[in-house]
Amino acid sequence: MSNFSVGFRSSGAVQILDLQGELDAHTAAELEAAIQKCQKDNRVHILVNGANLMYISSAGLGVFMAYIEEVRESGGDIKIAALQPKVFNVFDLLGFPMLFDIIETEEGAVAKFSAPTSD
Amino acid sequence: MSVTKRIMSVRGSLILYGVFVVAAWLASMGYHFQQWSAQEPASTTVYLLYAAVTTAGFTGWWYLIRQIQGFKETSPARKLWTLLIEGGVLMVIAGTVTRFGRISAPGLDLGIGFDLDTGVALTFPTIVKMGIVSLALVTFSFLLLQRLRSLILVKRSRSSERNWKLLLGLMIISSATTLFMQPGAEQNEWQNVALVIVAVLMVVNAFRLSWIVFLNFKEKLATLGLILLLGLFILFSLGTGFEANFGMVPRGLEFLENYFMPLATFAQQTAVFGMIYCLTSFLSLLFHLPTSGDFEQRAGERATMHTLAALVGQVFDADRLFATIAASPVEAGSADASWLVMPDPDTGTLRQHIVAAHNLSPDQIEQFMDCSELVDILSEDTDGFLIREAAADHRLNVHTGDRLGSLFVVPLVARDERIGALFATKSVVNGFERDDIETISIFAAQASVAIDNARLFEQQVEKERLSRELSIAREVQRKLLPQQAPTLRGTSMAASSVPAQEVGGDYYDFVQLGDERYGVIIADVSGKGTSAAFYMAEMQGIFQSVSRLASSPSEFLHHANLALAQSLDRNVFISAIYGILDLKKETFTIARAGHCPAAAVRLGGESRLIRTPGLGLGLDRGDLFRKSLVEEHIDLAPGDVFVLYTDGVVESRDSSGEEYGYDRLLEIVDEYRHDDAEGIHAAILRDLRRFLSAEDYDDDMTLVVLKWHGLPLEILTGSEDVLTEST
Repeated sequence: MSNFSVGFRSSGAVQILDLQGELDAHTAAELEAAIQKCQKDNRVHILVNGANLMYISSAGLGVFMAYIEEVRESGGDIKIAALQPKVFNVFDLLGFPMLFDIIETEEGAVAKFSAPTSD
Repeated sequence: MSVTKRIMSVRGSLILYGVFVVAAWLASMGYHFQQWSAQEPASTTVYLLYAAVTTAGFTGWWYLIRQIQGFKETSPARKLWTLLIEGGVLMVIAGTVTRFGRISAPGLDLGIGFDLDTGVALTFPTIVKMGIVSLALVTFSFLLLQRLRSLILVKRSRSSERNWKLLLGLMIISSATTLFMQPGAEQNEWQNVALVIVAVLMVVNAFRLSWIVFLNFKEKLATLGLILLLGLFILFSLGTGFEANFGMVPRGLEFLENYFMPLATFAQQTAVFGMIYCLTSFLSLLFHLPTSGDFEQRAGERATMHTLAALVGQVFDADRLFATIAASPVEAGSADASWLVMPDPDTGTLRQHIVAAHNLSPDQIEQFMDCSELVDILSEDTDGFLIREAAADHRLNVHTGDRLGSLFVVPLVARDERIGALFATKSVVNGFERDDIETISIFAAQASVAIDNARLFEQQVEKERLSRELSIAREVQRKLLPQQAPTLRGTSMAASSVPAQEVGGDYYDFVQLGDERYGVIIADVSGKGTSAAFYMAEMQGIFQSVSRLASSPSEFLHHANLALAQSLDRNVFISAIYGILDLKKETFTIARAGHCPAAAVRLGGESRLIRTPGLGLGLDRGDLFRKSLVEEHIDLAPGDVFVLYTDGVVESRDSSGEEYGYDRLLEIVDEYRHDDAEGIHAAILRDLRRFLSAEDYDDDMTLVVLKWHGLPLEILTGSEDVLTEST
């Protein structure tokens, strides 16, 4: 039924979450569970790869807002990478680029984790 | 129909019968008087006439008794008891009458007062005595026969009915053969053959004893005594060769023989049959006494099953249902104590606890065992399990001497889901027989259905309640939105909002800020449904109170963001566009907080999206939000069209998954830009509907269209009173 899934990958200290499908009010819980799992494993350098994310609703965006503060407080970050243009537009309309690192490529994002943060 | 009513309705015919019976009896007495006064027997013709009248009279009497008795549905013991009372009264009357004015001489048998040769009565009182005694004896034998009939025909079948009718018929025929016999005469060979056949049929009928099965132990014991009494009573009242010397009515039968020979034969045969039936009943009752416990258990099972089946239909008091289920194995006689365990739906844990117990308190049970642990063992085993010797089982904390010898646990399963378990115990070791286990398993299955039904019903009620609540919420939310767009000179406006569910998170509103300044807002709470609707209501409150105090769109949004920060959940945000229309300066100032860009189309056809920077409300609770906002000032030119909308509009997808999109929106606005706001609004909705080809929206959809037509000349020349507005 659910046309959304989260895949787990690692790149060094960075925990990569591969989102696939459509992230909306019904599927938001899956991403929440994924991020909670990362927190529990104490892997707080979270990189969300949106290459296969076809759609995101406001409820989906809410998930990022819900956890970003906690993750940053524990010394990590949630960065978002490789978004489809249409999905990026949704992030952009709300001003998410002001709040999150949204990077075009996964490699760039991984590199940004290791680089000293400027903000 | 009630018994009384039925009696009332047949009362007329009963009276008729009664009159006929009395008349026939008086006529028969008249015949005997005539013989007495003539002191010689009547002719054969007269005798035959007499026989016909008497037979008809007593046949009527038979039906009369049957009619009166037929309405009473009573227990066998009660039937026997009333029969004894009635018989007793009749015999006392008859006995008193025969002892009165008896002719006697020492050492000489003078008979009972009839001429030994002619059979004609010697005295007038003899005739009266004969009439009364005969009536009493015949009445008793009729009562006896009819009571026996009602017992014999319990659980009747075609053959039992046939056998009964055959017996009755043969008794009548064999009685009729004695029509010309003298009292005291021997029967001939043919009559003896007939008697043998009658006797065989009596024995056949005497084994119709089904009624005994339905009696419990006590009833059997009582009936046993009554049957014995009845047998003796028959012997002492109608027992041929016995009553003459020891009977309650000495030589009563002789009176009857003198009265009408066939009736005497019939009464005698009835007495014989009555005694045979009493004998078989007595023996059968005696032999059934030890097994009556088993029969009672069967009856208990049936009754309990019936109770449970009835519960499946009605239920809906959970506690009563649980108590009935818990009690069922005990009530059916299959267990000494029983209880029902289920997970607690309130706490949501899967741990089983006792919801109802019978014959053991939950505290006692918990001392003996951990029910939840036992239920866990069940998981693989849907048939339940049996512990034959509780004291020897390590899972139970039972010692010899505790009244818990064996235990049977069966799961309750409804629609492949285990919803609980039924426990049953017997105080003895190895107490459960095969049929006990089967019975309890059937109860468990029945109970599962009942509980499942109750739950479904509860869910349905809850669903209906929620749906009522939601429709109220929808009505309330509809009232939070403007009922109609204001009409302003030089401007036309149109707006609509459709929630995807009963309630939604979309909001739009208009406000008059002061002289010729009007605010228009559109907002979209993230998420859908009830939670979004609450924030939408809060947004409405903030807008109505703060907008008039804010001098610019960005100032309002900043205050709104501060106000919302208190209450918004961290994962909830609100996107909004707020614009201020200044009719005097002919400007439209707009600020966007993360919302879909407003579409703007000018008279010449230049179209664009107004996408000023700005964070969504609630995304940042500090200064970043304020800093992110950028206002745009637009000098209005006649023909300017602005369309504010929520993402539900542009993100609407058709069956192939394609989005409606910004371009399509701009195109349709451009196409209809010469219409007023109402026309453009309708055109967009029409286009959307055509695109979606369904009335089913995924998301809340809100659309606000605003068109600047330009101020008419008279306003420019200063007649300001023409400017009106209404909200």
